[in-house]
Amino acid sequence: MALIDLIVPEVVKTPLVSKDKPDVLRELVQVLKDAGRIDDFDAVLQAVQQREDLQSTGLEEGIAVPHGKTAAVSRLQIALGIAPQGIDFSSLDGKPTQLFFLLVASPEQSGPHVEALAEVAKLARSKAFCRALIGADNPQEVVELIRGE
Amino acid sequence: MGKPLKKIMVYIDGTEQSVTAAQYAICLASFSGAELVAHYVVNTRAVEDLLKARIFLKDERVEYEHDMEANADRYLDYVDGLAQKKGVALVKKRSRGNVHKEILDAVREYDVDLLVIGELSRIRSRRDEFYDEAERAMRTVPCSVLIVKDEDKVWELYESLG
Repeated sequence: MALIDLIVPEVVKTPLVSKDKPDVLRELVQVLKDAGRIDDFDAVLQAVQQREDLQSTGLEEGIAVPHGKTAAVSRLQIALGIAPQGIDFSSLDGKPTQLFFLLVASPEQSGPHVEALAEVAKLARSKAFCRALIGADNPQEVVELIRGE
Repeated sequence: MGKPLKKIMVYIDGTEQSVTAAQYAICLASFSGAELVAHYVVNTRAVEDLLKARIFLKDERVEYEHDMEANADRYLDYVDGLAQKKGVALVKKRSRGNVHKEILDAVREYDVDLLVIGELSRIRSRRDEFYDEAERAMRTVPCSVLIVKDEDKVWELYESLG
């Protein structure tokens, strides 16, 4: 299952309303809950927070990839949040983060999980594309950008 | 004239589509008498990329690779079980590395006539960033390639095998 098949308007939120890291994680997990992609909000949030506790997944250039494994999901789920104003996510370069790709997968689905993360990593290399995502007006526009349409 | 198909390889990647491809490959092997190889590639290249991108920590890399290897064994065992139910012998192959290259190497190693893969993503992006390893393998292997679609129809075919 490719990343572009998983990112639909229902799992995209722009702009995020959160102002800090804990709230961003909660808001993104809530996006999955509202989209009917997960049942157990607490288990998913805990999985993502546990990984963040080891080291922030805030990378450089305004991108973060919070992720985790939990048996609370049967298959890979992705939420994409955009904060054009930037949020402090303890990123590697110390700059505010604007794009948040949250991924959660079952421990038994580590292959698709890794491949989806790798796709996000490739995406993040294109600064122009990331700028376009950050400038998108609504979830539908984000999805169309990702599909390259 | 000899058998048109002597060796079939099905690529398994832990997706439902690849399991459907395996069911179809089992049917083909049963009908044709061809030998069947199921190949799972643990995508360590992607894990290395994630480490380089600092998305993965070193400990996380080890943990995920361990999980992926366990998943590979579980899926190969599952597909082997599907083959056994239909009286088809199956060779299980697990490798690690760059997916499309591993598939290409295995096709050559086993002298495969037909590579069977699951349905590719229906929505294809024009962006180069989205790169499907199975699609790349499809383009590079020297043998014929069959893309399996329609899970329900394949299941019926598989179930109808004696």
